[in-house]
Amino acid sequence: MDSLQAAFRDLIDGVRLAPLWFTLGWEQTAARFRRTVLGPFWLSANLLSLAFALAFVMGGLSGGSHSNFPSIIAGVLCWGITGAYLGDASNTFISAGDLMNTMRLPLTFHVLLMMYKNVINFLAQLIALWIVLFLLKMGAVPAISLLLGLPIVIINGVFLSMIIAMPATRFRDVQQTVTVSVQILFFLTPVFWTPAQMQGKRAEIMLTLNPFAHLLELIRQPILGRAPDLIHWEWGIGLMFVLGAIAVTMLTFYRKRVVFWL
Amino acid sequence: MSCSVRLDGVTLDYFIYSVKAQSLRNAVFNLAVGGNLYKSQGDVTVVRALENVSLYLEEGDRLALVGHNGSGKTSLLKVIAGIYEPQKGLVEIKGKLTSMIAHGAGLDSEASGLQNIRKLGAMRMIPKKVVESRIDSIVEFSELGDFVRLPVKTFSSGMMARLMFACATEFEADIIVLDEWLGAGDAAFGQKAARRMEGFVDKAQMVILGTHNFPLVERVCNKVIELAAGRAVFAGSTADWMAWRNR
Repeated sequence: MDSLQAAFRDLIDGVRLAPLWFTLGWEQTAARFRRTVLGPFWLSANLLSLAFALAFVMGGLSGGSHSNFPSIIAGVLCWGITGAYLGDASNTFISAGDLMNTMRLPLTFHVLLMMYKNVINFLAQLIALWIVLFLLKMGAVPAISLLLGLPIVIINGVFLSMIIAMPATRFRDVQQTVTVSVQILFFLTPVFWTPAQMQGKRAEIMLTLNPFAHLLELIRQPILGRAPDLIHWEWGIGLMFVLGAIAVTMLTFYRKRVVFWL
Repeated sequence: MSCSVRLDGVTLDYFIYSVKAQSLRNAVFNLAVGGNLYKSQGDVTVVRALENVSLYLEEGDRLALVGHNGSGKTSLLKVIAGIYEPQKGLVEIKGKLTSMIAHGAGLDSEASGLQNIRKLGAMRMIPKKVVESRIDSIVEFSELGDFVRLPVKTFSSGMMARLMFACATEFEADIIVLDEWLGAGDAAFGQKAARRMEGFVDKAQMVILGTHNFPLVERVCNKVIELAAGRAVFAGSTADWMAWRNR
């Protein structure tokens, strides 16, 4: 019972330390681009180059049409906080090891700091995306539901990161597994292809039963000015409770031990 | 604000995972064969770092932890700082605690000394205004002068020790936990640090110090715990400890 209480306290204390991870998140993001010429614009450059390359290939495959470009670039952007962050997530405690051995901080703090840095990346790139789309006259006014979809995606990300980060500290194979899985998921999720292109049994597996697809649409659709379907909301909110329960259970049993696994 | 530290029967085990034990394959194999096949090759080594350690400190106490390398000083400091939660025993800390355990811990080597002072302040949730108002006295106490504007990676270990000690003691805290790195400073700084720690009695601050510097212990601390292989072989006042050592 005590352990369960301590698990909830860990979560609450982590959230309460918001001023600290806000400061550190900014600082570490700035530090990443120290002594670079482009600075944080590297984030935009990264997104744009990948999206243009994918659009070039996909345009060729579909006979020269570029109508999918907004969907592809928004997909790549949203994948950053619905899938690609999992690489960082599995490394959360390992890279925070120095800090964890110096100062008493709740485990949730380290997860929130990692997630916050990913959200900063996302927001910085989102601005770049809107500018590019409007310049190309492909932009749309974002739907208001983004303000609800984004928190759902972020909360899911925090819980899933917690669930992955703990075993990844104990078993170093997990991190490698996650890296490989994220790559595969990138292809299985409609990031750079459209759901309409997929048919039959495969569509069901990759679209209906793929939680990452639902989370992705929850933010991609509003960015492109459309409201997400009801099923995406159902999956997003449902997942939040399932992942939350798993994360709390794992915190209850393993919270004390993580620091010894470093 | 009153502060106290109570430890009761603290036992701390380290689990050392070999490369083998950190691989998932072996964990899976262990499941399949009932945990015998790979265990015999030694997967997890358990080291008992602390055994049944108890202590009680109150306002104005200055405790020295002494003992050979590997006797458990740093482990005990980490338990007090809340970094490790012991498998057995009770830890009760009242008051605001700041810890500076590892050498250079929490410093950003690319950032300047000044930026690091601000960062250490932020890490301790000290309001920005307070940090800014203390910067001058931190720079003055650490005697770093203009070097404080250079990246910390250019600092010597003594300079880092000066900066960390100045920050640890300048920002208000009830309980200050320091480890051996203090010895990296030169003799003059050692004197200065000792003088400052003597002043803690008046401010009712508590300091817990892991050290090999016996003259410093005699001068600054009123209580001593000597550790050997994770057990407290002596716990008492400094005067008793000196008598115990010379017996």
